Amino acid sequence: MPTLTMPRLDSSPMSDTDTSEIDTTSEISETTAERRLRFEREALPFMDQLYAAAMRMTRNPQDAGDLVQETFIKAFQAFDQFQPGTNLKAWLYRIQTNTFINIYRKKQRDPYQGSIDELEEWQLGGAESATASHSRSAEAEAIDHLPDSDVKDALQSIPEDFRLAVYLADVEGFAYQEIADIMKTPVGTVMSRLHRGRKLLRERLRDYAIGRGIVAADPAPTAPTTGAATTETTS
Amino acid sequence: MTDCGCEKAKAELEEYLHRELSDQDFRDITEHLAGCEDCSAEHLIGLTLTERVRRACKETAPEELRVAILAKITSRV
Repeated sequence: MPTLTMPRLDSSPMSDTDTSEIDTTSEISETTAERRLRFEREALPFMDQLYAAAMRMTRNPQDAGDLVQETFIKAFQAFDQFQPGTNLKAWLYRIQTNTFINIYRKKQRDPYQGSIDELEEWQLGGAESATASHSRSAEAEAIDHLPDSDVKDALQSIPEDFRLAVYLADVEGFAYQEIADIMKTPVGTVMSRLHRGRKLLRERLRDYAIGRGIVAADPAPTAPTTGAATTETTS
Repeated sequence: MTDCGCEKAKAELEEYLHRELSDQDFRDITEHLAGCEDCSAEHLIGLTLTERVRRACKETAPEELRVAILAKITSRV
């Protein structure tokens, strides 16, 4: 079995709860009970969001539940290190993402992962540029009409790092710099993963839309045009 | 005011969508999109993709998970 190098990951055994804002802890001492109440009030409301992210990370409810539980336990243990006023959601996501990478990714390592950032543009395919604008509005409409299951399947089918970047940007609305902090990569890498991830996602969705007959296949030489899926020739 | 052109707009549509551009660039692209059918069609796909993914990814944590997490936290006092 080939060993894959993952250059973007820190090789040093680093705490999942490391934060850059540890050094300025507030002087107000808080009892454990008070801290627990504050945690329940401030952190627990993010449970649905973290669970949704965990579902996209682990791809199954059992592991997602375990991951979220692990995340909250770690977050609670480190909660006195969290500086009030900074972004709690990003802090929780950072813990969850690190926990996922350190624990769950080992279990379900995708052989595709190691060299994903080095994939060339042509290997990822894609040719949205030549599409005429009238078929683009059809494409937007098709994306909009696809069932949730197709969208989730498409998301699951793209490489993990791409999927995470897309999730953090598009679903959670994190800024590129926040995603860079969460994923521990440079902003340029985030942008590249996002770009490639969205491009792949769009292609998969277009394939689903063609498969469902929602949108016409491009009249490319390799396309299996049966006529049934093309609306342009019949109207 | 000069139109920034399709090339710049297409190259920056994704950052535009994610609000990662400077105010000036944001204005330039907005202006270009208003007058360019091709780029605005492309932008609409990007917007739709984001919105569609966001909608599909909604989940509610199972109640038993909520209970389990609360129990763990309480026991760790």
